[in-house]
Amino acid sequence: MSDIKAFDNDVDIAWCPGCGNFPILGAVKQALAGLDLLPHQVLICTGIGQAPKLPHYMQVNTFNGLHGREVAVAVAAKLAAPDLTVLVHAGDGGAYAEGGNHFLHAIRRNIDITLVVHDNHYFALTKAQASPTTSQGVVTRFNPEGVAAMPLNPLALAISQSCAFVGQATSARPDHLADLLMKAIAHKGFSFINVLQPCVSWDHVRTYEYYRERCYEPGSDYDASDRLKAMELVTRAEERYPVGVIYTQQRPEYSDQTTSHVTLPLRRREVNPDAAVSLFSRFQ
Amino acid sequence: MEVNIRIAGAAGQGIQTAAGLLGKALTRSNLFAYAYTDAESRIRGGLNFTHIRCSREPLAGVTNRIDILVALSKEALSAFEELMTEKSLVVAPQSWPHPHRVPAAIGKLAEQAGSEAVSGTVSIATAWKILGQAPGILETLIREHFASKKNVLAQNLKALNLVFDSSQQIPGAAYFHLPAASSTGTGRMWISGHEAVSLGAVAGGVTFVTGYPMSPATSILINMAQWHRQLEVIVEQAEDEIAAINMVAGASYAGARAMTATSGGGFSLMVEGLSLLGMIEYPAVIVLAQRPGPATGLPTRTAQGDLNFVRHAGHGSFPRVIIAPGNISECFDMTALAFDIAEQYQVPVFVMTDQLLQDSQTTMAPFAVGHLPKRRHIMSPEALTSLTGYRRYARTESGVSPLAAPGDSRHVVVVDSDEHDEAGHITESARIADEMAQKRLQKGKTLMEASWKNRLVGPVDGRPLVVGWGSSLETLKEAVSRLNAEGLKVAHFHLSWLWPVQEQMIRQPVQAASRLIVVDHSVDGGLGAYLREVALRAPDAVISRRDGRPFSVDELYGKLRAEVIE
Repeated sequence: MSDIKAFDNDVDIAWCPGCGNFPILGAVKQALAGLDLLPHQVLICTGIGQAPKLPHYMQVNTFNGLHGREVAVAVAAKLAAPDLTVLVHAGDGGAYAEGGNHFLHAIRRNIDITLVVHDNHYFALTKAQASPTTSQGVVTRFNPEGVAAMPLNPLALAISQSCAFVGQATSARPDHLADLLMKAIAHKGFSFINVLQPCVSWDHVRTYEYYRERCYEPGSDYDASDRLKAMELVTRAEERYPVGVIYTQQRPEYSDQTTSHVTLPLRRREVNPDAAVSLFSRFQ
Repeated sequence: MEVNIRIAGAAGQGIQTAAGLLGKALTRSNLFAYAYTDAESRIRGGLNFTHIRCSREPLAGVTNRIDILVALSKEALSAFEELMTEKSLVVAPQSWPHPHRVPAAIGKLAEQAGSEAVSGTVSIATAWKILGQAPGILETLIREHFASKKNVLAQNLKALNLVFDSSQQIPGAAYFHLPAASSTGTGRMWISGHEAVSLGAVAGGVTFVTGYPMSPATSILINMAQWHRQLEVIVEQAEDEIAAINMVAGASYAGARAMTATSGGGFSLMVEGLSLLGMIEYPAVIVLAQRPGPATGLPTRTAQGDLNFVRHAGHGSFPRVIIAPGNISECFDMTALAFDIAEQYQVPVFVMTDQLLQDSQTTMAPFAVGHLPKRRHIMSPEALTSLTGYRRYARTESGVSPLAAPGDSRHVVVVDSDEHDEAGHITESARIADEMAQKRLQKGKTLMEASWKNRLVGPVDGRPLVVGWGSSLETLKEAVSRLNAEGLKVAHFHLSWLWPVQEQMIRQPVQAASRLIVVDHSVDGGLGAYLREVALRAPDAVISRRDGRPFSVDELYGKLRAEVIE
């Protein structure tokens, strides 16, 4: 266990008072310290939105890039520097709308990064447009007749593609989230956690209280390695939310398969023009 | 003395394999060759060709005249009548009548060798015989090429022997004999533009390659994938071009020398990522292999239409470098240098090629590497450890901040696509926003120090000046030298460093010309617009193409002559 205070910084926080991101920020620090990591050993990649501001508010290597592209950045950074522990924090807009393609392919690759989606069912920073997880019928200024499209089920999507680690947590239970984060980060492969997060400014239904009442842990007999049971769990038509490890399996990790021949990390590699000369004979 | 061989047929008939064997055989015989490729966007059928110029002297421009036509399909047999001369010979099966067809029994020999599939080898061997060459070098190459397929190798060797055992003389062949130079090996290579770019990337220290397939850039990604084990390079196939450019950013942030290769359509998808690279100030090498647009355009053909797109791509203002190799040798050198420039100044560097340059092949001495930079521009862990704090965007006189990689010290590296302060954290401060914009502007000015002088063959004063850029170099050189041999006194300015420029360096020769003639393989003569802006002079004439086919020496000679005499 490292000193959790090492992850503190003094950057002014631009989130709304009481924002569901605060407990996530605390849980991330708690999990990293719990795993005995130091700030310079961790990289957090994010895009644009409220959730993606998270790494600015702690002492950590930070790549705050474009909206929806955070997973692509993280995949490459992890390939190039496998000694870094790489996390991605994205909102439901960035992860499931703009970045949907990268999400699919990260599941396929199974590279050892952890994706944490702050799912508050809105594009909150741009004043509450519908996101892919907004419920049908919800009226927004962009959807004056109510959202017509069905909400995405990110957990079912991930499980259907045999994502190596699928978890769910809620901002309303930060200690549980910290514990799940530790498991996800320790899991070798692509780990995905959907965090159910209240939006104190735009959503007056799904409050902290709402999630505390409706989130539940499947019983001790729940087998998270059973894909069909996991699928059944996350597709039940009920207003209750399973939290914890929903599905997990061991799959070959991507770097192990693709870069075992490479001297890493790439930042230490020298420039050697003679390497080109070694290929000339192919053309002679 | 030069001989022009065109191998033509349908896609899937092995034209490029045959041309590769012939080009390499010529190279190993201490002769010189240059080949360019014309192919349709299909896997089977249609009409494709590779055109090979061979000589005892180095040559490299595009020509169309056909001395020897190797026709692998009936369509190929009749497609090029206007490019043949009285002396031209045609290598084709006897059942396809043609007045210039040589009497060699292509089909019959292939049948005797055991398979119709070896008629390509029979044809190449016949062309080799017309050039007056002994079979030895070609035989060695066939052995190397088919080494893993014993049965196929045996049939091909039999085909070669049947051609050379035949005592039948080929009428008219003596005219095309190219006496081989001394038989001692020179170690010259037979190499394409995309291979030279790839080797250049290796010499420049590339460690991370990513991209999404798109002609004509894909070959670079394939080369790197084929070599990745030996070179210890990470080659990642991205799910789309947006992922590719963001992966370049992520790898570069982590300290890799990262590149991608794409064409116009793919680059269009990368543009937001380009702006990101500009904002967070990370090195990247982007090979833009151009083809005609708009949209899908002509996927397998050539153009130079993206110069101003690349110059202006991306929202916001940020420095970038644009270089354009003119020939295969420059493909190697300039790509290697691109990596050093990118890392030293923490900017995206574009290497602009096109289908013609990518797919052309030539005989070439092994590239020199002694002069190429070997330094990295990342702070060492030792230097970082001695710092009390690290600020990624520390302001400096040059606008370039010291670059640290994450994980190399106890300092964290913070970057943000939002406007940020010196530490890399998001900011709304008006003062800091202004300072950071100025910093990036200053870096653009500093970057001009890295520019090299563009190739000027003059003097210009009072003479017509031909200005070209990129892949037209060799064809244009040859056309201009023919004009000068006639006493027409034409100067030639060829741009390979296009951005950022010290405007005076471009303006001076352009303004001094009696007549400004722009040669640009694009629909709207983009180089002309560039010169209007940079050199404050509109072209007097623009020679362009809109059909995706390369300029030829004859064509440029004729069009330039008309412009100069006027």
